Amino acid sequence: MPKHSVLIVGGGIAGMRAALAAKERGADVGLISKVHPLRTQGGTSQGGINAAVRDGDSAELHAADTVKGGDYLGEQSAVELLTGAARSAVVALDHWGVPFNRDPNGRLDARRLGGASRSRACFVDDMTGHAILQVLHEQLLKAGIATYQEWAVTNLLTEDGACIGAVALELASGRLDAFAANAVVLATGGCTRVYEPTSAAYGVTGDGVALAYRAGAALSDMEMVQFHSLGIKGSGMILTEALLGLGGYLINAAGERFVLQSAPTLGEQAPRDVVARAAEKEIARGPAEFVALDLRHLGGDELKRLELTGHIIKTQAGVDPATQTIPVRPVAHRTMGGVHVSTDGATGVAGLYAAGGCAGTGVHGANGLAGNWLLEALVFGERAGLAAAQRAPQPAKGVDAQLEDERRRIGSIVDRPVGSEKAGAIRSELGRLMRRHVGPVRTASGLRQAVNQVAELAARYQKAGIANKQQRFNYELAAFLELESLLTVGKVIVAAAGFREESRGAHYREDHLARDDARWLAHTVASFRPEGPAMTSKPVAIRRWKPEGRRY
Amino acid sequence: MLTTFKVHRYDSELGGKPTFQQYAVDLPEDATVLDGLFKIREELDGTLAFRASCNRGFCGECTLRINRGGRLACMTRVAATRTKEGEVTVEPTRFVRVLKDLVYDVDRQLWQKIKAVEPWLQPAAAEPNSEHVIPDAELRPIRNAMKCYYCGLCDEGCSVIPFDNTFLGPTALTKAYRFVADPRDGARAHRLRAVGEPRGMWDCVHCYEADEHCPRGIEPTARILDLREMAVSAGVKSGTTNPQVARHYDSFARSVRTSGWLDEGRLALETWGIRRALDLLPVAWRALRRGKLPIPYRHPKRHGAERIGKIFEKVERRTP
Repeated sequence: MPKHSVLIVGGGIAGMRAALAAKERGADVGLISKVHPLRTQGGTSQGGINAAVRDGDSAELHAADTVKGGDYLGEQSAVELLTGAARSAVVALDHWGVPFNRDPNGRLDARRLGGASRSRACFVDDMTGHAILQVLHEQLLKAGIATYQEWAVTNLLTEDGACIGAVALELASGRLDAFAANAVVLATGGCTRVYEPTSAAYGVTGDGVALAYRAGAALSDMEMVQFHSLGIKGSGMILTEALLGLGGYLINAAGERFVLQSAPTLGEQAPRDVVARAAEKEIARGPAEFVALDLRHLGGDELKRLELTGHIIKTQAGVDPATQTIPVRPVAHRTMGGVHVSTDGATGVAGLYAAGGCAGTGVHGANGLAGNWLLEALVFGERAGLAAAQRAPQPAKGVDAQLEDERRRIGSIVDRPVGSEKAGAIRSELGRLMRRHVGPVRTASGLRQAVNQVAELAARYQKAGIANKQQRFNYELAAFLELESLLTVGKVIVAAAGFREESRGAHYREDHLARDDARWLAHTVASFRPEGPAMTSKPVAIRRWKPEGRRY
Repeated sequence: MLTTFKVHRYDSELGGKPTFQQYAVDLPEDATVLDGLFKIREELDGTLAFRASCNRGFCGECTLRINRGGRLACMTRVAATRTKEGEVTVEPTRFVRVLKDLVYDVDRQLWQKIKAVEPWLQPAAAEPNSEHVIPDAELRPIRNAMKCYYCGLCDEGCSVIPFDNTFLGPTALTKAYRFVADPRDGARAHRLRAVGEPRGMWDCVHCYEADEHCPRGIEPTARILDLREMAVSAGVKSGTTNPQVARHYDSFARSVRTSGWLDEGRLALETWGIRRALDLLPVAWRALRRGKLPIPYRHPKRHGAERIGKIFEKVERRTP
């Protein structure tokens, strides 16, 4: 049984940053990851990482943009921490070797992304996340941190209500083992795979969110799901939003820039929720199932810098952007909510911390800005790692019994008769119903239907089984366990969306069109009950930025 | 669109010969090969093992051999790649240790080799309070090398690895280049010596296959040649711990400098020494029989050799 003082679950940007911080603080760190760290979701972040490094910009302006971008649901103290730490986070990356693009003076260059009042996103061509991921992994190797790759955590170990480790499944062998720890940091990423189509990696199935929720931690703002307007046909692959920052247009069949009706000043450079909703409504008018991304008026030079994007447009959309428009539609991209945490990543469960995509720090409010996601993972990953490293040693009591219980649970899943229910079909139905009823535009009746349909799928899941009874590399089993996470978080997203009776940021209800600051300047908070999520709300602490109209 | 997937099946624990299993898969027009593999696993055969992650062509996790070419399954459209007969053959990349079906030992093939080049920045000096001030042009080559998404296709194309899998290979050497070229790194001399060891950069036969196979346009062969050039300009003897390489360069330069052209016989002798050169006797014998080894062996001075010697002097004066 491996033992570490701090166990990190998730090998992405937040997880690696947390691991490095805990190690620096002297902890013996172990890191478990479903996939190799270099294959994790953050590597697909292209646009950049926000930090006020240019003249005329400041952490205050960055914070103000973030709060407004989040439609005033952002937890302002957390936002100030985020933007205040941004510069040093980026400088630390530069010192570790991230080759950020430079301006003519050799200083950090920055580009402008949606919802930002300044050019603030430091970037590495169109592969910012990919470069950061590589450098963090280099530091992980340098620090000699023990990593367990292709291990999937299936349950948390608890003792007297505190988390004392995790049970994980090694994909290569099919072996379950217990990992004892004084503290566990969940950094498993978001849960956007609950939608179909989605831009998220296959592993973004909300495992950490579901684990924490079942262990008794509260989830916050789960209804806040961000859609990205540049999903290209089919699979959910997206094009970088930097294309809109460069001056790309979204047009309808009549050739009109329809976003200007919603955001007369910023147009396509407005925050993602505004642009995605405009596109969703345009598509709802029909008959086309897509709107068009128009890059024809842009010079080729700017596009050349986005080499990877050019390749995707050519091979996946199959068009020449110099002469043709690209059909796009909104696809589920990120989740603003997650495990409700303090600014040190502490959840409601002692010894359990969360950071990055799976955590609800509240910084994104009702809509996260491009360029803040990588920043959040780094800043709050570091804070969670430091906090976890300070937790006192815990006696690893009752671990063997819990491991045995988990072996029996997983064994019973494998032994279940296959039946006629297929997990893949359940997952796909879940994804499509979430897109239909809990998408960029929601209604009370749609949400009611969603409650029933998710419950039906969960019941069908209990009757489903797996055909693959092999031990080694049983991906069918891994996907089956992921589906349980998806159904768990799906239920909470639907409940939270029904609970918040207003429209704010990414959450837009046709039966409650207005923002309701009197009632809903508050986070939704979901707690686990066997019969379904118990919903309460928690007021936002308004410190500096009073809610105003949100015009772009 | 009904497509026949012929998929490599193998279990390293059971051993035996790999087989190709056929699946008839109905897919939408714009489906990718990865979509097809998921459809097989979810609907037809849960035992099929393959890896996938980002589904956007960024992470390299689903690198496979598809219809006899190394590709990312998530970026390969079925309609564009299937044969006239409507078939798609999917197998692991070549020269790897297969664990199960399409899952192979990436740890041995890539991660261990990358780890061997000490892949982390070793800061040159005390770090400034802010970012390093560096002209963007100096970072461009590093960004180019960092486009790598560790798919391993350059290693698959490499001409050396099939014969000697202890060769570091283009992926790891490109990773080494990324640090040697970084103005923020202070371990340049150490790194050049390390990649100059046997099984390192000098084992590259510059066949340029790596450049042909790299889907990101990084040109790993060119990066390896960059490394060599940096080692040479740092002084071959101090730039490499590989004595044959140093002798090869010295002999090459001496021959051209004094005679105006390359003395190949002497080059072999001086590079390998008498004992290793004896091993080359069978080669010499075959060359002789085919009339490719002039007897008696003579290496006269070329016309204008003095002028070539002067070039050497001129260059030496310029680079102290």
